[in-house]
Formats: sequence, structure tokens, C-alpha cells
Amino acid sequence: MSSPFSINGGACVAMVGKDCVAIACDLRLGLQALTVSNNFPKIFQYGDVFLGLTGLATDVSTVSDLFRYKVNMYRLREERNIAPSTFANLVSSSLYERRFGPYFVSPVVAGLDPKSGRPFICGFDSIGCIDFAKDFIVSGTASEQLFGMCESLWEPDLGPDDLFETISQALLSAVDRDALSGWGAHVYIVEKDKVTKRLLKGRQD
Amino acid sequence: MDSLVARYSRPATLNRETFSEDLQDGLHDDMNPGLSLKFAMPPVAQPSAWLRAATDDHANPNCPIKIAHGTTTLAFRFQGGIIVATDSRATAGNWIASQTVKKVIEINSCLLGTMAGGAADCQYWLAWLGMQCRLHELRHKRRISVAAASKILANLVYQYKGMGLSMGTMCAGVTKEEGPALYYIDSDGTRLAGNLFCVGSGQTFAYGVLDAEYRYDLGADEALELGRRSILAATHRDAYSGGYINLYHVKEDGWVKHGFSDTNPIFWKTKLEKGEFTNVTSALD
Amino acid sequence: MAMFSQNPVLNGPNYSFAEVPKDAVDGLREHRFNPYTDNGGSTLAIAGADFAIMAGDTRLTSGYSINTRYAPKVFKIGGTTSSQDDANLLLSVVGYAADGEALQERLDAICKMYRYRHGKPMSVSACAKRLSTIMYQKRFFPYYVYAILGGLDEDGRGAVYSYDPVGSFEREQCRAGGAAASLIMPFLDNQVNFKNQYVPGTGVGHELKERERLPLPRNEVEVLVKDAFDSAVERHIEVGDGLQIMIITKDGIEEKVLPLKRD
Repeated sequence: MSSPFSINGGACVAMVGKDCVAIACDLRLGLQALTVSNNFPKIFQYGDVFLGLTGLATDVSTVSDLFRYKVNMYRLREERNIAPSTFANLVSSSLYERRFGPYFVSPVVAGLDPKSGRPFICGFDSIGCIDFAKDFIVSGTASEQLFGMCESLWEPDLGPDDLFETISQALLSAVDRDALSGWGAHVYIVEKDKVTKRLLKGRQD
Repeated sequence: MDSLVARYSRPATLNRETFSEDLQDGLHDDMNPGLSLKFAMPPVAQPSAWLRAATDDHANPNCPIKIAHGTTTLAFRFQGGIIVATDSRATAGNWIASQTVKKVIEINSCLLGTMAGGAADCQYWLAWLGMQCRLHELRHKRRISVAAASKILANLVYQYKGMGLSMGTMCAGVTKEEGPALYYIDSDGTRLAGNLFCVGSGQTFAYGVLDAEYRYDLGADEALELGRRSILAATHRDAYSGGYINLYHVKEDGWVKHGFSDTNPIFWKTKLEKGEFTNVTSALD
Repeated sequence: MAMFSQNPVLNGPNYSFAEVPKDAVDGLREHRFNPYTDNGGSTLAIAGADFAIMAGDTRLTSGYSINTRYAPKVFKIGGTTSSQDDANLLLSVVGYAADGEALQERLDAICKMYRYRHGKPMSVSACAKRLSTIMYQKRFFPYYVYAILGGLDEDGRGAVYSYDPVGSFEREQCRAGGAAASLIMPFLDNQVNFKNQYVPGTGVGHELKERERLPLPRNEVEVLVKDAFDSAVERHIEVGDGLQIMIITKDGIEEKVLPLKRD
């Protein structure tokens, strides 16, 4: 019951659409049964890439700040934004550095490739094994529920509006069956030259 | 051949193999429905320890059988009777097994029981209590007192103490002799009379609201609203409570149901119209 | 022969004991009584306006091995004969297959006796309560079974009752049980009870109206059932092979078996 991955709770999901990607997370931070905060977003934007982090909240904060630092250093050295696939490899190698004392997080990366504009999403385990997916990636305490929802709602080549509807319905219905996540949600729809961020009204129980 | 004949010509009473015997007896019991006190037991020296390993997710997170837990229930006495309110969520670990559980059990037209802990334990034993109350009525030609009914349940669970029953229940009712009466009974065998109880994983959150606003001379509408608001607070902060608010008012001439209503619209109404729950964000950044 | 391999990795039903008993220091042997196996699989039930639909996959697993690709999980209950042609109830069981079968046989025997004694079939509500007490009789040695009972109520409406292993029960509109319940149930909330769905154009923000819940027609429900299982098969290793669907209407019970992925 007290696995580090399920103390604080939280859920995150990313989806591929037609020339767009979407990434969404819930807002809960809890201490087992007690809901401590209902405004703890788990998605972080680094230039053109988005990182979703679920798991132990202290590691979510630490890891998100670590990657903010690493991405800033990359930008200073290379004088360009980091590409999603490059960032994915950075996440992977950084997590594997802690192979025997891992951060208790399950990251999700989403973004559009800056050159080709092709959607890119991937997920990781806590020690950096990359899961490249063409459809969707889920993580967090509601991951089983999200798998069921995404597998049945997602279809290829959804436009930005349909993708928003799909990911929102998937996330809201999934977290409503998980005691440890929910309490509202953030959704990002990433298109070429445009990012739309929305707050979803979710159940507050 | 002779041995075959011998085998099949023995008196029927001697021709019982253990397997079919068990089955026969089992089926015989099945044909006499009703809530009996004969329970099947695992063939081990320590049934309760075995049961804990198999069903108690607190003692063994990988236990094969997950029994639904998690609740907020409350009941309080006031000038106009008793308010009984519950949430409706059942959880098995972090999985929300149901959002529509009826945690108020209508024992009869004047008696209510609430459900916290093992759902099956509460459902079964409160139904059994209903049967005992009806038998009491038939035998004595008058309704059972709440004190007596709660004591029957308390004695029963005490008999099973240490066997793994899990229930925290409140019995609320009215009779001519007692007026409105409220009792708390749990599976340890505790039985307490009182004015105000909250039971379950969300009890502290409910007490927080209830204690702050509670007075004995509350009006009926105020009391119902207080019951509703206390459950709402608990569903918001406790992960294992939620779903619908089930409200009852026990009056002189029996209980009245005041709805089984979704918390979500009630929450947003409370936030937007009364300006409470300011901790919940409704704007981006 | 992975089934009887006694290989703990394959986690097959070998001994009733978790491992071969070891001699402790003092020479006493300690056996762990381990009577349950999780046979995987998933079930699903949806109640409609004038029908109830019950479905289950037909795979039976223990650990990583598939013991059979056709083991039905949905049963007709309460017919006059073993053919169950005039049955009026459906029971689905998932969890430990042996307990499931025992429970099914027991309930069937009881319903048959009821029918013989009373000259009429048992109503769903009566059978639902009876099933609860049967399961609770084994409160201290439970049936490791998640059961769902389906039928038509006194008004001819579809009825679905779901149970936990020790017999707490509730009438519901829909329910998924077993290994992939966590994958299917949120989908059902969304598509059958229209949870989180709002009617477009009824306002902005907080003014949006929730979509009203109406019972779905039978053809749509059948599509939902198939979609739910197709999704579950993709992401759960214990679900697959075949999809057994039973539909109960006033005209009786229809059964069909559709293929599912076998990988």
C-alpha cells in the first residue's frame, strides 16, 4: 500500500493526433487518503517539449527542476531548443544514472519534432527504459484505467479539437475510478506554432 | 461380480461416501433459506489468521480477495429527531469499486443502520438484525427499542470477535419509550449511546464541520444541511469517500429519506454560490 | 506441460501448498494452506430497458499459462432441466474457476428446487438476495469469485446485480468484473452512464448541462461490449480467445460466441 509510486497519487496521459499531440495530467497531491493540495500540476514545459511526471511528489519536483536546468544548459550550448526525441534520450540517461537508487517517477514526454513537425510521444519506467509509442502513453496510479479508456477511445489522425475531447474524456473517466487522482486536470494541445492549455473541471471527491 | 453386488446392496446409510455426504448436507442447508449462523470454515488450525492473509489488504497488500472498505458516515441527534448521512463510495485498495453504494440500511420503518467497514458484513448482519427485530415484534406484540436492537447486534459481533468481521455501524431510531435514540456499534464489540457520531476513513473531516456548527436546537432544515455539508467536506478531503450523499431524517413517526444526490453539482454550488472551498482553482495559473 | 510443472515461476496449480514444505530447525513442518488460484479473465454486464446483456471472455489462465481457450464464465441459472432451455437468470463468475463453478452449481440447484416447490421460476430480486446469503455463508472461507447476476425484474426491465467475494451486493446499470475490470469499468461509466459528458451548446463553463442518462438500445450495447473486450484484450494478458455473450429478453436467452485475439 505504501509503494513510493502511490503515496501521493496522480495520473498523466499523452496522445498522438494528426500533426498534433496532447498531454494531460490531474491536479491532486495527497498523503495516502488525505488530499493535501488540489493544485499540483504534473506537466512541465521546456521550450517545445512537454514532460509529465507522476509518482513520488518530492521526486516530481526534484526531477522537473533537474531537467529545467539540463534543458537550459543544452539551449545555452547549442543555441537552439531541444527536440523531443533528444530530450527523451536525456531523460533516459539521466534516470539510468540513478539505476540503484532511482527517482520514484514515471515520466511521459510529448512534443512535435522541430524539423519534420511529426508528433512524438514516449514513456519511461523509473530507471529510464524508453517506451516509444505511436498512439498513447499513460502513467500514474490510474494507469490501468487510462489504458482501458485510451485503448477504446483513441483512433489515428484525430484533429486538435477531437484530440482534446478524446484525451479529456479518457483522463476524467479514468481518474474518477481511482481514489488517489483527480481533483481537476490540465490539458495541453500542442500544434505547430501553437500550444493551447486548458483547465478541466473534474469531480472534487 | 459378487463384490459389486455386495457393494451396492449395503444399507443406504452405510453407503455414504464423505464427498456426497458433504454435498447432501450442504444442499439440505441450502433448501432451508434464512439467515443462519452456520459458516463454512477453512480446514486449518487458525482460521482467523488464514482469513487475514487471504482477505486483509492492510496486513497483506497482495491478498487475493479484496474486500471493499472506506467510508464517511455520520449521525446526530437534535431537537427534531436524528439526521443520518453517508457518502456512497466503495474502494478496494486505490480502485474505486463503486460510487453508488447504499450505506444507510433500512432495518424497518423506524430503524436505520449505517455501513462502514466490510460491506458484506454490514449488509448481512443488519438484515439479520432486521429479522431479529421483526421476531421481537411478533413475540412481544410491540416494537423493539433501539437500545435492545443495538444490543442484539453488539452481542452478535462480540461472539465473532477476533474472527475478522469488520464493521462500524450506527443504529438510529425512534420508539415511544426512548424517543430518538442513537447507538454506535463496532466489530470490537463496542456499543455506545450518544448524540453525535462520525464513522469511517473520513470521520475526522466530518467531525470538523459537524462539531463547529452543531447545536441540539438546530431546525430540521438546518440539521439536514449540516449533515450534507459535513459529508461534502469529507468527500472532498478523503480519497476513500465520495460519490453520492445519502440523507435521512428520523422523526417521531419513522424515517424520511431526503435524497441520494451526486456530490459534484452540490460541491460546485457550494463553492460558487456560497464562496466556500476557495482552495479549489477554477482559473488557469 | 506447464500446467502441472510444479514450477513456481509458472505459478501453476500443483500443490495446494505454495511451496514444497520445508523442514524447520526444530524438525516441525509448516504447511501454508493455499487453496486459491487466480484464473484471470473478465466479465461484463449491462442492463437495458427491456433486456440484460452478460458477457465474459473464455480464456482460463494460471500464471502465464493458458489452460484452455474455451471455458465459459456466463451460465444460465434456474431452468427446469439440465439443458436450461427455460432458464430466466444469468450468472457470470470470474476469479477462481473452481469456486465459480461450485457457486454456479449451488445457485442452480437452489433455483431448481425453488421452481419445483413453488411451481414458478425465482425472481431476480429473490435470487439476488439468496446468492448474497450463499456467498456470506462462506464469510470465513470465501468463494474467490466476483459474481454478477442478470435477468429481467418484475416490470420487465433489465436487472444487473454485482457481488464482492463475500456477498455484498448492489443493483446497478452496468458492471465489469475480474482481471480487466479496471480497464473496462471507466469506459462503461463514460459510455453507458455518460459520466463526464456534457451537452454542447447548453452554456459555457459551469453552465454546461450534463448529458441526461437514457437506457441504450440493444444494438448499441452489443457494440459497446465488443469494443470493451477488444480494448481489454490489447492490454491484459489474461483476457482473450473468445467472447461469450448472453442476452436475456422476454423471449428468452440468446447466446453467441465471438472470436477475440488469441495472442
